[in-house]
Amino acid sequence: MTARVKVKPTFDTIAWRWMRYSGILLIPLAWIHVAIQDVIVGVHRIDINYVALRWANIGWQTYDILLLAFAFAHGMYGLRQVTTDFFHTEKARRALSILFLAFWVILSVIGAFAIIAGARPELS
Amino acid sequence: MAAPTSTLKNTATGYALYRGREGHYAFLLHRLTGLGTLLFLAIHILDTSTVYFFPALYEHAIAIYRSTPFMLGEIGLVFSVIYHGVNGLRIAITDLWLPSKWTVRFERNAVRATLALSILLWSPAALWMMIALLRNNFGFDPLNFSWLGF
Repeated sequence: MTARVKVKPTFDTIAWRWMRYSGILLIPLAWIHVAIQDVIVGVHRIDINYVALRWANIGWQTYDILLLAFAFAHGMYGLRQVTTDFFHTEKARRALSILFLAFWVILSVIGAFAIIAGARPELS
Repeated sequence: MAAPTSTLKNTATGYALYRGREGHYAFLLHRLTGLGTLLFLAIHILDTSTVYFFPALYEHAIAIYRSTPFMLGEIGLVFSVIYHGVNGLRIAITDLWLPSKWTVRFERNAVRATLALSILLWSPAALWMMIALLRNNFGFDPLNFSWLGF
């Protein structure tokens, strides 16, 4: 019988699992978004009123918040993993991690703020 | 401690020259499609945020997306999102539930199936987007068969 040893998971162990969970979740989330906006509706029929009106719907607003949260976190952690392949010193990896974390937080806040405040229900 | 001998150049060379066949190509394509999608996503978060922050700029941003080069890029983006998803699902399923399937033989077949499924899913979307491109940017509607002369 094999003995099971409990090892306290590191940040990257947890992130490794969450890359898979978020990836599975992003398949419906990102694919439906792309299918609607890029393929079915198309960029020629999208304007500012279309976006503001969509955010006036609490369901789509929640959808976009979830997509922003999961897709961008997944992507930025992925970028960190790729750069780990190319930068081998602790110092460089730490610097990049801080840079990516800051970039992720700033863009996520900007995006979330726009999704929440950008809704204009008066259009409907 | 001395810095590891492996440098940026060594990693790039390894990426290019490693002879892992299907697994190697899937690895490269997964990273390429992932990074491409991330680049677009970062820009997309900012341009969509102008809806609230600088509404006057949004029409300008959308005009760029409507240009022919960007619409062609959009078709590539859709492939990236599909391939990254299908291949990512292969990785997630194998890692989380079927780790015993991490064999060269199984992986080679799975990688081929992944690519085939991605192209199958992408083709109708790409075709539809090409029609939209011709219709909107070139005034040519491929679905309007009056150009055949009857």
